[in-house]
Amino acid sequence: MDQTGLRFYKSSFLLPGLLVLLAIILFPLVFTIRVSLSGWDAISPGLNWAGVRNYVIVFGDRRFWEAMLRLSGMAIGTVLVQYVLGFALALLVWREVLFRRFFRVLFLIPMMTTPVVMSVIWRTIFHESLGPANDFLGLFGLGPYPWLTSANWAVAAVMLVEIWQWTPFMFLLLLAGLLSLPREPFLAAAIDGAGPIRTFLNVTFPMLAPVSIGALIIRLIEASKIMETVYVLTSGGPGTATETAGYYIYIRGLRDFEIGYAAALSITYLVVMIVLMTVIAKLLVRVLVGRSA
Amino acid sequence: MSLVLNSVSLSRGGEIHLDDVSLRFDRGGLTTVLGRTLSGKTTLLRAIAGLQETDRGTLTRDGEPFGTLPAWKRDVAMVYQQFINYPHLSVFENVAFPLRKRKVAESEVGHRVRSVLDVVGLAAFGERKPSQLSGGQQQRVALARALVRKAGVLLLDEPLVNLDYKLREQLREEFRGLLASQADATVIYNTTEPAEAMMLGDRLVVMHEGRVLQAGVPTAVFDRPASALVARIVTDPPMTIVAGTLDGGRVLFEGGLALDAPGLLAAMPPGRYRFGIRANEIEPVDGGGIAGRVTFGEVSGSETFLHVETMLGEAVVQLEGVHRVEPGRQIGLSFAPERLFVFAAQGEGALLHAPGHGEG
Amino acid sequence: MPLLSILKYLAILVWSGFVMAPLTWALTTSFKTANGVTSGPTYLPWIGYEPSLAGWRSLFGGAGGIDIVRPYLNSVIVTGSASLISIVLGTLAAYGLSRFSYRTGFVKNADIVFFFISQRIMPPIVLAIPFFLMLQFLDLLDTRLGLVLVYIALLLPIAVWIMVDFFDGVPRQIDEMAMLDGCTPFEAFRRVVLPNSLSGILVAAMFCLIFGWNDFFFAFTLTFTDTQLLPVAIVSLNSSVTPWWSLSASALISVAPLIVIAIVVERLLSRGTLAGAIR
Repeated sequence: MDQTGLRFYKSSFLLPGLLVLLAIILFPLVFTIRVSLSGWDAISPGLNWAGVRNYVIVFGDRRFWEAMLRLSGMAIGTVLVQYVLGFALALLVWREVLFRRFFRVLFLIPMMTTPVVMSVIWRTIFHESLGPANDFLGLFGLGPYPWLTSANWAVAAVMLVEIWQWTPFMFLLLLAGLLSLPREPFLAAAIDGAGPIRTFLNVTFPMLAPVSIGALIIRLIEASKIMETVYVLTSGGPGTATETAGYYIYIRGLRDFEIGYAAALSITYLVVMIVLMTVIAKLLVRVLVGRSA
Repeated sequence: MSLVLNSVSLSRGGEIHLDDVSLRFDRGGLTTVLGRTLSGKTTLLRAIAGLQETDRGTLTRDGEPFGTLPAWKRDVAMVYQQFINYPHLSVFENVAFPLRKRKVAESEVGHRVRSVLDVVGLAAFGERKPSQLSGGQQQRVALARALVRKAGVLLLDEPLVNLDYKLREQLREEFRGLLASQADATVIYNTTEPAEAMMLGDRLVVMHEGRVLQAGVPTAVFDRPASALVARIVTDPPMTIVAGTLDGGRVLFEGGLALDAPGLLAAMPPGRYRFGIRANEIEPVDGGGIAGRVTFGEVSGSETFLHVETMLGEAVVQLEGVHRVEPGRQIGLSFAPERLFVFAAQGEGALLHAPGHGEG
Repeated sequence: MPLLSILKYLAILVWSGFVMAPLTWALTTSFKTANGVTSGPTYLPWIGYEPSLAGWRSLFGGAGGIDIVRPYLNSVIVTGSASLISIVLGTLAAYGLSRFSYRTGFVKNADIVFFFISQRIMPPIVLAIPFFLMLQFLDLLDTRLGLVLVYIALLLPIAVWIMVDFFDGVPRQIDEMAMLDGCTPFEAFRRVVLPNSLSGILVAAMFCLIFGWNDFFFAFTLTFTDTQLLPVAIVSLNSSVTPWWSLSASALISVAPLIVIAIVVERLLSRGTLAGAIR
């Protein structure tokens, strides 16, 4: 709709929000790029010029790239588990189930809770002798396990908390998608005599492909920021076993105060993320839509 | 006193929606705009309403520039082809909305809204929400809201197209009465249906691909369509048009049929032409005639249309009454050559000869 | 198929147990004392341990805890104002983006929408240091106003993202009609579009509140003492000698208001409003 006399109104709707966001975001971004080209640290704070030296160091920083790899593994792993579980849960309370509205509320609760606060609670749960995790597994004759003090178990603990926290988000988006599906294709499948598994593979899953792609991408973006859970549960440890890229940047920047270097890490991280997300988005579209087409 | 468009053009994204349109709409008259889907009719109304900015040309109303006014100052009312009402307001408040916006006194609002609702037959539904009404009723609410303002320009964009056949017939009758009562307004009514355009309009504008092909009194356009294209648009079912040659008093159609050219036709210079014949001028004959095979038949109201594959190409035959004709049946057709329209062979086929009244 | 039914309910119950486990644990721990904690994992009051209200008292000036009222108030004010401002600005911008076409050079509507949404890709750590320096420069470090500004940057993209989709689903003929009825675009928006968009705004508000309330990182890096927000205050209890009882009580208090949001979100979900808002 392009109309006479609209110019003033057009700008009045868009500009306040756009300008506020630009003002709040643009400065940090440009500033970070500038800082990344400086040698700003605890000894010589300030914007001197260091050229691309920081980036050269980033390139050879094993600890950073290992953290990136670890982060990618954890993000993709947890998001896939969240997707499968979320989908299953959404299917479970989609139709004729007693108290389904009660269970829907219940299933949503974890995503409403503050991740960092829940991580503090999880830390008490994973306590080796005083926490209920080992107590519960002991009922089945398992454990006790060194949840937060051995590398593999610590990774498992972080992933478990992420799954607890964010499966509801997948559940929410997929259930919303399920509830908006038209009835006709299901009737058609029923008339064709399709069983529940075939109906799911031929009707439900393909029709939820767009929602699935959106949900997976949103969750991957959010999961790429995993950091608070790590901060509270393990502080990246033991050693660097649970250190994610974000947490490593945090250590270099805000704990060791190597601002210039942390900025270079941040920009590298951002660029890698944008490239990866674009590639993953394209792949997802091909896998999920291509299959159903 | 009138609404005048002068050389108005509008294109969006490389697509031409209005191409050098010049038109004049008189106050107190009802103009129907006839054209197929995407012919630019809707864009024409949106440009007049101020919902779409034009690229070139001017709009004036009573001599005053009009095209530069924003939509909310144009005094234009519109009824959409979808049933558009304010979902959160009751029927009464929907109709009252434009009056309240104009700060009309509360007592007068009540009076005017009630009388308009009475006119459209919804007096008993004032408290309902539009979603609680049928499609036909919803469209009446939209019409009531357009009428209550007594706007200077009233635009209707295929208002009946989304209704079922019976309701459409009934509302069309009602609309004719209601719109005729808007003596002070300029009314423009878009339609794809020739019958509707003929029945409602004082004037008829034929549009195609953003251009105005012909404008005039409906019967005049119907009797003397400016071109073969107009002839196909204004006749329903579309006129059968066949290429052929006129030579020495004989019409030789492509496909091999030859007929004697009567009277005026015989006097035309020899050469290639396109010849047109209306569906209701073609009759099935028992034995002989032009051989054809029925591809399908459709019953519409109290008439039957047969689509027949002949040596001349596809012809549409109109029969009175309801008939059952099996597809594939062989029939013979005939028509009176003096009922032929003659169009130029080139371009859109300018009209060269039309059959007169009373002949044949 | 009764067996399938049984499995279905079993799965639902298992997951419900998993979901509720940490919260139940927190609830029971909040009534413990040091003795109750160090004697190993126990679950039932009176049977497993001697219950006490010390943990809860410690949040309101009692010994060994934190004063939770002030951070709570800070969180409510900061999250509330940032959400409100984001919803107002985001709704206006989304309406513009949904209805009008903007073109400046090669930038079109889709690019502007993408700019808004792409803010969510930005890892917090990238923004933290410049935000810190920016707020320091503006003298807004450790103030509610400073945090509100930062939170707007986090929440505005969410509001725009949800509302653009929502407005795309509201027939534009409604606002055109209002303009023909004599409304300026502002009036059309306020009198006709807004009343029909309340459910979309509610969805956007829910998400802004959840993401605002649950932020820790920015609250942690940009405040010290005066405007400590709730999550920061709670995490400050987390050390080698953590008072588990205070921690659990404060966690439950912080989670409580969001249970209400879970109920609202479920209502929107079951009414089908959410499907229109999230795609």
